[in-house]
Amino acid sequence: MVQIYARKKALAGAANVLLAGAEKLKTSQNEAVRNRTTLDFHIELLRLRQNWRLKKVSNTIIGDLSYRTAGSKYLQTGTFEVTKAEDDEKASSPPSSPLPSGPTPAKQNSALRVSIPSELQGVAYIEVLCQKDHEDLCSVNINLLGSGPPPPPTQTCIGSKKLEAAQNVLFCKELFNQLAKEAVQLQAPIPHMVVGNQIMATVLPGIQLIIGLCHSTTADKKQQHPSPSKSEHDHVLEHSLHQLLREVHHKNTHHPFPHPATGPLGPSKKRMFAGPMAADRYELLEMTKTDTLLEQIVKQAQHFIMRMRTEYVLDTIAKEVKDPLISSHWNTLNSPTQSCVKINISTHGYDAVCRTPLVIHVGEKSLKCICRDGKVMNMSYEPQELRDLIFCHINQHQILAVQALAKTMGWQALGNSNHLGDDSTGTVEPLGNASSCLMSSPTGDRIIAVRCEPHTGIQVSVAHSPRTDFFPSRLVTERKWEHLGGQFRDVRLDKMEGRNFLHKMELLMASLTSNS
Amino acid sequence: MGVTILTQFPTENRTGPHTIDVLSKRIMALGALQQGQFLVDCETYTSVPQLGPQRTVHVLHNSEQPATVFSLLETGTKTIPLATDGLFDLLMMKMSSFYTSKKQTKAESKGPRYEIGDFCVKLGTVTVSSNFKGILVEVEYRPCVVPAMCWDLLKEFLQGFLGLSGPTNPPAYLQNRMQEIYSPIDTIHQYLEHFTIFRKSPGIGMRA
Repeated sequence: MVQIYARKKALAGAANVLLAGAEKLKTSQNEAVRNRTTLDFHIELLRLRQNWRLKKVSNTIIGDLSYRTAGSKYLQTGTFEVTKAEDDEKASSPPSSPLPSGPTPAKQNSALRVSIPSELQGVAYIEVLCQKDHEDLCSVNINLLGSGPPPPPTQTCIGSKKLEAAQNVLFCKELFNQLAKEAVQLQAPIPHMVVGNQIMATVLPGIQLIIGLCHSTTADKKQQHPSPSKSEHDHVLEHSLHQLLREVHHKNTHHPFPHPATGPLGPSKKRMFAGPMAADRYELLEMTKTDTLLEQIVKQAQHFIMRMRTEYVLDTIAKEVKDPLISSHWNTLNSPTQSCVKINISTHGYDAVCRTPLVIHVGEKSLKCICRDGKVMNMSYEPQELRDLIFCHINQHQILAVQALAKTMGWQALGNSNHLGDDSTGTVEPLGNASSCLMSSPTGDRIIAVRCEPHTGIQVSVAHSPRTDFFPSRLVTERKWEHLGGQFRDVRLDKMEGRNFLHKMELLMASLTSNS
Repeated sequence: MGVTILTQFPTENRTGPHTIDVLSKRIMALGALQQGQFLVDCETYTSVPQLGPQRTVHVLHNSEQPATVFSLLETGTKTIPLATDGLFDLLMMKMSSFYTSKKQTKAESKGPRYEIGDFCVKLGTVTVSSNFKGILVEVEYRPCVVPAMCWDLLKEFLQGFLGLSGPTNPPAYLQNRMQEIYSPIDTIHQYLEHFTIFRKSPGIGMRA
């Protein structure tokens, strides 16, 4: 009996052990099933480590999102902490993280919690404005986060989004800090101003470049965001500022080859070669001159405005002047501080007779025009100068074209002048130059005079010699004197038939030739 | 970088500073402007006997090329020129057990530097281990790099302010290289030639 009891008890004990084991297995299996929906902490940490620098310091995991390993020398640290998200923390995490970019459902699934220092939270961007007397010429918003390529799918874990935003804040801060430092140090003729989160630099007289750092947290982000119409402007300056600091970073980490182990690090490739190539002191002095970020961006802004002004002048002239057609071709490839436009002045239907090509190099503060005859004209930033030059060339084109046309019609060009304006040939023009020419018919009995003025337009006069009728008078007794040339009579061009000036001239010459 | 002619100017009975004074007055009268000072120095190292046949290394610096150290290695049969950056000086210090320098032979030429149009004129007082040895006049014509093309111009210019003591023939070193492109190492060769002569000549006896 006692034995039976003993056996029963032993069996019950063994059954308990088995049941407890089965229970444990069941719960662990259940947990594994539940964990399959939310990612494992360690796997997520592994993913995070593939894209970010993490290290373990005693019991915590510290990461670094600064650009220091990429060559940045900015002092502010970009450390963040990675912790395991507990269930209760998970519930409270959405309000504590201020970033709107991370998708909310993904956040709740994550087993990681990334805490970023408060000064790096939120969204930052750098705003670049070109202002003319408190009126915006252009506005470019630099939002590095928005301009960057979409992250690859492996990065979509929630920490990455948050970290990328923080890294962007850090980058913007470094960029602005660097620009502000340079603005204070630079000795510009008109000093740069740094007020709060804004840098003001004078680009050209009356035009300011304003660079501002906008750092906002979620709450006021929507109000501060500028209207989308403004940010749809040219993105050249946006790209440039971005690029300039990256370039500085790159230079800090990439030293030009060759660098011997005993040699110093840092000098440029040119400076490295200065010794063996026996550079003299002027060359060495030139090497020490480097443009700061602010100077470079000011130069680019200057060029941007110069290009815009040139475009505007050319377009308005092309709109105003219908008779010679003015077409401009901009080079698609250009440097940030230099571009080139080719201008063709031609008359519709007479392209083969005469064409006036011009090339204008647009620089930072000046324009250089290479004219048809190879002359080089240097102009300042004032758009009026370019306008004058183009008008001058329009006149010259008309005169040259009418002479070329005369040649094809068998007429003879007697003479021309591109720069009238002294006492003998008329009044001095307020702007530009008047030009004129004289042509005679094949038989020499008709003379056409053409005068082009920027203001009054084109005047055409015709002289007949000898006149068809002759009446002897007391002064002119014989007919032969009439060969000396008669009086010029103005032609009313506007009443004449013809599509354009050259067509009218062709008709005029044809009619005068047929008479003889 | 142009063509440089180096010529010795006899001191006759004057002291060094006095001669420099006379020459600088002449060049100033022509309208030259002083642009600082210049210095060319030369140190000579000889190899230790364990290295076999004796070789000599002349290390020169020219203030016109401040980042460069020039050296000329004389093996007995030929001269090997070398232009390097400033680290070469440190290298020579490392090699002090193979190449030893005689401190008494340190030669240098220093003095005022003038610019007059396209010419650069340097009036150097030569000292060998701080003993005054003579006067070297260096004239550079900057727009040209081929000696043959500007030698006549340089000769005329030199005779213009040095008088009869101006050179009548190109320096011996340049005579075979008149058609070649001039480089800074050629200036160094000329300096070394003159320094070698000065080192061998007995002291003039007048201290600078």
